[in-house]
Amino acid sequence: MNRKLGAVIIAVAVAVGIYFMTAEKKVEQTACGKVTIAEMNWASAELMANVDKIILEKGYGCEVELVAGATMPTFTSMNEKGMPDIAPELWSNAVQGPLSKAKDEKRLFVANPGPITGLGEGWWVSPSVVKNHPELKTVKDIIERPDLFPHPEDSSKGGMMTCPAGWNCQLSTNNLFRAFKMEEKGWKLIDPGSAAGLDGAIAKASTRNENWFGYYWTPTSVVGKYGLVKVPFGVDYDDDNWHNCIVKPEKECADPKPTSWTKSVVETVVTDNFMNNSGVASDFIKNRTYPGEIMNQMLVFMTDQKATGKDAAFEFLQKHENVWGKWVSDEAAKKIKASL
Amino acid sequence: MEWFTKFPEMDRNGLREFKKTVDNAFTSFSRNYGEGIENFFDPLLSFLVAFEKLFLNTPWPITIFAILLICWLASRSMIIIAGTFLSFLLIGYFGMWEDTMSTLAIILVATLLCICIGIPIGIAMARSNKVQTLILPILDVMQTIPSFVYLIPVVMLLGIGKVPGLIAVCIYAIPPIVRLTNLGIRLVDKDVLEAAESFGANYWQKLFGVQIPLALPTIFAGVNQTIMMALAMVVIASMIGVQGLGLPVLRAISNQYLALGLMNGLAIVVLAIIFDRVTQRIGKRMQRYKSD
Repeated sequence: MNRKLGAVIIAVAVAVGIYFMTAEKKVEQTACGKVTIAEMNWASAELMANVDKIILEKGYGCEVELVAGATMPTFTSMNEKGMPDIAPELWSNAVQGPLSKAKDEKRLFVANPGPITGLGEGWWVSPSVVKNHPELKTVKDIIERPDLFPHPEDSSKGGMMTCPAGWNCQLSTNNLFRAFKMEEKGWKLIDPGSAAGLDGAIAKASTRNENWFGYYWTPTSVVGKYGLVKVPFGVDYDDDNWHNCIVKPEKECADPKPTSWTKSVVETVVTDNFMNNSGVASDFIKNRTYPGEIMNQMLVFMTDQKATGKDAAFEFLQKHENVWGKWVSDEAAKKIKASL
Repeated sequence: MEWFTKFPEMDRNGLREFKKTVDNAFTSFSRNYGEGIENFFDPLLSFLVAFEKLFLNTPWPITIFAILLICWLASRSMIIIAGTFLSFLLIGYFGMWEDTMSTLAIILVATLLCICIGIPIGIAMARSNKVQTLILPILDVMQTIPSFVYLIPVVMLLGIGKVPGLIAVCIYAIPPIVRLTNLGIRLVDKDVLEAAESFGANYWQKLFGVQIPLALPTIFAGVNQTIMMALAMVVIASMIGVQGLGLPVLRAISNQYLALGLMNGLAIVVLAIIFDRVTQRIGKRMQRYKSD
């Protein structure tokens, strides 16, 4: 243990030394300085982190480092240590309480309240359902037809796939299942166990043109690749019911009412350090909004071509200049284009 | 000198094409034959569902009594009976009864399946060195390949649920019984076999009358290991939608619920210890002749 600690101290000391030796020079070179960006462990966030890196480096002369992350660890680290500087795609419903506190204390800022359009969670069906049964327009229509979605282990029931075990959406999906009285209508929930299980089930159903009905979300390559269609719930959103019942464990939600899914909040969150010291670079973060369609296309590209976030970022910058061109100043756009 | 410092790897496009070809080949295979394969496993699925229903619908006192009876017949040890009784009461009291029954059902079916497939393979390996050299590397692969690797194709072919879970469990759990059946039969004393031969025993008489009975303690060690490894796969199998104790563990992992994870994890451990002690006892009782 002691040796490990020693090694860490030496490493930190060396890093600090190098930092001080080089820091002065860099401040002169760049207006924007050193920036760390969280590269979350899912595809859309990898792409965004890499696009941000290229644009900030080439267009604004920042010095960017990507660090691996995931929602909770990254947010905790930003909140406690002010590192990394940018979380490009933070699903902030999960960290609502601490995030609003940090916003009040001006430690963290929401630089962009909607970096991707048209995203969110909900209930989806495979394309064969839309093709063969166009009369099923809303969730209310679908739940009358459990016979179209036979449960694999009990074909007399309809099977609806819920969210992977332990995710928050499992509570909401299961409560909505009760709210729509689906059990009485002959439905049973299927727990896919994990995200891999859920994706596999969708891939299987879609490649074989089988009907599939269940929970999913976008932006995802699965939605783009298999053409899943989001089904409107056919009822209005009821905020009070959602927050005080649907998202709670079953015991605390005795009488759930039908409602549509809440709007997902995805934000680009930055630290005070970046907000105050990066100059015009923060304007770019404010402006960049990916259209949902384009994002899904990029994600399909990533899975089909087995591309990394970096490959996809170059592909995006090359193919979709009309999208990112609007995010940056003309001068920066020229520099970025020249570097590709 | 670049080839010396940097490995001369396949170029990016070639590699990508290669991966794509493999993926597409599998997708079209699954599209064409998936349904047939699924239908092939349908009887197994209905057996599994029926077996689980039996466990879930039997009133708990009867289930506990039956389990205790089996433990007694197998082990004849009061300590094991008392421990089993207490453990199941605790499991039920802490609200894990249904999950435990689901897990028990799939573990028992998996073990049965492994025994039915594994012992004949083990016998074939013991009979011929050629078969042994062929099968051993396959067993090595099955034991070491990360389970997530074969979960993807299994899910693509069969969807999620009990059957793919069972297949994943069996792939991981079958090697010990094959290995130890092979070993047990090979370790049977040459002199004993010679004696049997001199009495005019034919091949099958030697196999069923001499080799297998003498190898039984080793084979039972294999059964024991198979059950243990099947239990170790409970959580992984839950990742593709198998009901049971694994799901609450997964829920605990993604939410950092310490108590939930610990309770269900310990329930798996308790099942493992009961299975282990009971099957070890059977093995020991089979070897009693040695001490006489």
